[in-house]
Amino acid sequence: MNAIIEMKNLNKFYGSHHVLKDIDLSVSRGEVVVVVGASGSGKSTLIRCVNGLEMYQNGSLLVDGYPMPVEEDRRLGGERELAAIRKGVGMVFQQFNLFPHKTVVENITIAPMRVHRKTRREAEATALKLLERVGLEAHAHKYPGQLSGGQQQRVAIARSLAMEPHLMLFDEPTSALDPEMIGEVLDVMRELAADGMTMMIVTHEMGFAREVADRIVYIDQGSILEIGKPDAFFDNPENDRARSFLARVLKH
Amino acid sequence: MIARFLKWSRHNLFGKPFDILLSLTVIPGFLWLAYQVAAWTVTTARWEIIPESLRILMIGIFPAEQAWRAWVAIMIIAALLGAALGCVFAFRKRHAAGLLLVLAAVIALTGSKDLTNALLTASTIAIFASGCAAISLIPLLRRALLPAGFIALIAIFAVMSPPGAGLWGGLLLSILLTLVTSIVSLPVGILLAFGRRSRFSSMRWICMGYIEVMRSVPLIMVVYWIWILMPVLAPQFGLADVVRGMIGFTLFYSAYVAEYVRSGLQAVPREQTEAARSLGMSEFDINRSIVLPQALRVAVPPLVGNVLDIFNTAPLVFIIGLTDFLRAGQMILANPQYGDRTYEVYAFLFLTYFLVGSLITFVARRLETHLARGNR
Repeated sequence: MNAIIEMKNLNKFYGSHHVLKDIDLSVSRGEVVVVVGASGSGKSTLIRCVNGLEMYQNGSLLVDGYPMPVEEDRRLGGERELAAIRKGVGMVFQQFNLFPHKTVVENITIAPMRVHRKTRREAEATALKLLERVGLEAHAHKYPGQLSGGQQQRVAIARSLAMEPHLMLFDEPTSALDPEMIGEVLDVMRELAADGMTMMIVTHEMGFAREVADRIVYIDQGSILEIGKPDAFFDNPENDRARSFLARVLKH
Repeated sequence: MIARFLKWSRHNLFGKPFDILLSLTVIPGFLWLAYQVAAWTVTTARWEIIPESLRILMIGIFPAEQAWRAWVAIMIIAALLGAALGCVFAFRKRHAAGLLLVLAAVIALTGSKDLTNALLTASTIAIFASGCAAISLIPLLRRALLPAGFIALIAIFAVMSPPGAGLWGGLLLSILLTLVTSIVSLPVGILLAFGRRSRFSSMRWICMGYIEVMRSVPLIMVVYWIWILMPVLAPQFGLADVVRGMIGFTLFYSAYVAEYVRSGLQAVPREQTEAARSLGMSEFDINRSIVLPQALRVAVPPLVGNVLDIFNTAPLVFIIGLTDFLRAGQMILANPQYGDRTYEVYAFLFLTYFLVGSLITFVARRLETHLARGNR
């Protein structure tokens, strides 16, 4: 069992709007998969399905060996099973979503203390180590509002890592950042990839995608149109729509 | 100085024809009124009635030889209020000066010969100040504030009960009613607000029904209903009128608290919940540690306003035969010997309500700026 994510015939609707169409995708342990596509193509929805922030209507989704229940079953409960899956899956959001009423250290320690029942001392030791890793140990006792966007996003990454996830999801982690801050966040992600973390990333940073990805997934109007090695995808895309998409984004 | 005043008044009072007309009618009228009030206050009014009946105004028909119990209750309240204020205000020297002024006013009111009361007032103020100073200097104590509040309430009940809860009255009753209602309705209101967003529709409907019913009927009716229902529902307890009144007030105001908390909950972005969920936190932990603190930050100013509402509606307990502050004033006037002092007594009532009310408004406003600053 080498796949950490396994989607088979996954379908999602918002009312009558068909958002994800027959998605088949599997991600192996240690792999870095980058999902690209135009806005509104369903790439964020796809990644949010993996930790159950979005519900899907039919098909199957295995995460880390656990089956993610479809919407009908989730109506009946299953919050605990969901929490069990989420413990092993970290997520980084476009808008960072740090907890504004807690300091940086508290942001990082709250989940390990509540979910893994770690002591404060243990959790804080881990938090400081992680902050050092993302280069923010000096800001440990500030509030998120006192940090720049890039710093907040690095704290958000550290917060996810504190739960020792097997898989990290990144939902456009640099889209809300000023250009000069994108680099510092991408550097942290590069290091994570080099350490062998399994990552699924939605991004518009094509250069970064090409550099770190093991595979690129191109998605358009809710369907996966192409999956391939980065070099093959960027130099010689097979799909017509992928080609015109690349022509549009690589022009700048 | 005079030139500046003239310039200022030409701009602000006599700028346009309409302004001139307004100023010429309002200003003399106001001055005349102020003169009349001042003249009455200094010459006609006979104020000795206030110190003479101060005990009735403050504690109603509570027996005089048991007054120490009331003092203990007042000191507990002072400590609690001081601690609550200490969370927001750093204690400074000028605050101490203000408190000394209050002490001086109280002594002037009671007459200087009454040394015991002056000493007790002084120690109450000292307790208030030290509560405030302690909590503003040692932030760790803040976590203990809510449990301490409940323990304080129980202690007050234990101290005040022996002579009979039916004897509670005066300003102390108004304050106790306000305190009990605002402290107990907070957790009840929070639970109702969360119940209203529950996943289970039965829960949602029950909470929504409760809130809507309470908000669409008059307070006085709820209080009256509880008063007549309690002996039927729980005859074995034989609850005193005061307790039944407090239950009625709490049930009524919980619905309002729930609405304020709900507006706070709506102000917390959905992404906060999502981020906490993605960390594997349970729904209970998310609500308690992530959503509620941020919601309360938004809801605190209206909640303090709610305390003022409770205090100002407290006189309505006369409907179930309780003697609150306002009713105590009327009781004094019912004495034929004092029948002609209506204006003096009502002026005192007015002033006291106004002072307490504006104090609460002031705190609410300061709290608002304080929280806005905290929300970087």
